[in-house]
This record gives sequence, structure tokens and C-alpha cells, in this order.
Amino acid sequence: MIDPDAELVRNAGAGDQRAAEALVRRHLPKMVGVARRMLNDGAEAEDVAQEVFLRVWREAPRWKPGQAKFETWMHRVALNLCYDRLRRRREKSDPDAGVAVADTRPLASEEWLARQRAAKVHAALAELPERQRAAIALVHFDEMSNIAAAEILEISVEALESLLARGRRALKAALADVAQDLLGGAEGAP
Amino acid sequence: MRKEENMDRERFATLLDAYGADFRRWAAETRAGAAAFAVQDPEAAALLAEARKFDAVLDSAREVAPPSPELADRILAFAPRVVRPAFDRRAMLALAACAVFGVVLGYGGGLMAPAPLEDDTYFSMAFEAPVAFEDEG
Repeated sequence: MIDPDAELVRNAGAGDQRAAEALVRRHLPKMVGVARRMLNDGAEAEDVAQEVFLRVWREAPRWKPGQAKFETWMHRVALNLCYDRLRRRREKSDPDAGVAVADTRPLASEEWLARQRAAKVHAALAELPERQRAAIALVHFDEMSNIAAAEILEISVEALESLLARGRRALKAALADVAQDLLGGAEGAP
Repeated sequence: MRKEENMDRERFATLLDAYGADFRRWAAETRAGAAAFAVQDPEAAALLAEARKFDAVLDSAREVAPPSPELADRILAFAPRVVRPAFDRRAMLALAACAVFGVVLGYGGGLMAPAPLEDDTYFSMAFEAPVAFEDEG
């Protein structure tokens, strides 16, 4: 197994700033993206991504390529941090956590509609069980292969397919109005 | 090379449920079979069209705000750095080179100096009064 990050990780661990910057450029958007979809909160997603990289810096000097790809390990760390935060939210039962604050700025109607649709999809994702949400975040949004996603979630490909199918069915039911709105608008367009 | 998976309606529907309508998300060994099956089976084609609509709904949330530039700066501030020793390697090499040069210079200078006289009578003669002066007195 060739790990495309192996050399960067080794060099970053040895104090090479350029290698560290390259790792951040390559992986930071993905870490923020997956945390954003898991937590439905932009600020918390950035906190998670920062924590992931602090662990990367700690591990890089002693990282040995072999068992899992570095990116797989990073995703596992990010998801575990998200699970921890979601658990703490449940324990605190904070009803406002993860609820996006409505943007009150005036927007062009199309842009406003697009934002509303996105907010509804994020909200519906946030209602899914965590593992289904993670599977959809990795496969649909991060466009990872089924093998890579299954490895991150530490399950078989068949189990991943089951999580994905259940998640998509639940989302389809929750987002029926969005589909109607989106496709009705598209079909009615000239 | 991976073996292509045989596709039937049930398997097609199962994979469509999981991965949606974009065959690029499907496992490599199922893609060609699935695409061919969707062309030849009208029910599969209808399921595919339906899944494509739902993918479009999900894609409403594809864009997420990019990470702030400050976040990258904060992260990089903690990246490992090279710890330079008090005497770095180049300084140590320069010092060693100076020492070797000094030794060579000292040894070479010694070789170039005039050889000492074997006869040491000039030492003893230097402290003897010349006989001629005594005669004058």
C-alpha cells in the first residue's frame, strides 16, 4: 500500500515547514468539511480540524507507514472528535447546539432559496444516526471509495452499504419538500 | 484486474440505494455492468433517474464554507520545528578545519626553518673574552 502522504508526514515530523503547509493545504478543507457535516456547526468544525492537526503534529515524528493510510487515520480522529462532541451535546441536552442561526441579511431570492435548501439538508443530516451521517459524509460528499470509507469506519463494505442505504432513505423522507421545491422549480423553468 | 460483477435488478437497486446515481461512487467492479444494465432495463433506468433527482437534493449542501485563513495559520504555528543545536554542524566543521590548518601550518613552518647547527661551540665562544683585548691592556 502506497501512502501518498508518507513523505510529507515524515518531513513535517522532522520540522520541514513546507511539508507541514502542504499537509494543511491537502487535508484541512476535508477535515473541516466532514466535521461540518457531522456537527452542523462551522465554528465547532474548525475546532475539530485544529485538534486533528495538533494530533498530526504530535504523531508525525514517530509515524510509521504500514497499517492504515495517514488520511484514513486523520478521518478516524476527526470522526471520533465529532462523536465526542455530539455525546457531550446529548449529555448537556443543549437544544441550540448545531442549529444554524438564520441569516437575516437581504439576499437575492435564488441565493436565499439555495441557502434555505442547504440548511434543510444539513438539518436533516444532523438528525441521522451518527454512523449513517458519517457514511454519507464520506461517500457522497467527500467522494471516497467504498473501501476507504469502510476502512475509516472500521466496518465491512456490506455494512457500509447498509448504513448508506438506510441514511439515504431517511434523508429522502425528511427532504421530500426540498425535492418538490427543487425539482418543481427546475421542471417548471423555461 | 478486478472481475466485473454480474448485475441484476435487485443488485442494481441495492447499490443505487447505497451509492446514488453517480456510478463513479460505485465500486470499480460494478460500474460498467451497472451502466450497461441501466441502458437495457427500463425499470433500472427509471430507478436511476429517481436517484439522480435525490442526489441533486443532497448536492444542495455540497458547498461548505472554506476554512478560514486564520485557522491554517493557527495550526501551522504548532507544527514541529527543527531545533538547532547551540553549535550547528557548519560551525563545527569550520572550527575543525581551522584546527587542522593550524597544525599543518605549524608543522610546515618547522620544516622550512633553518636546521640547527650541530656544532655548539658558538655558544661557549660567545661568553669567552677575546684574547686580543687582554693583550692590549
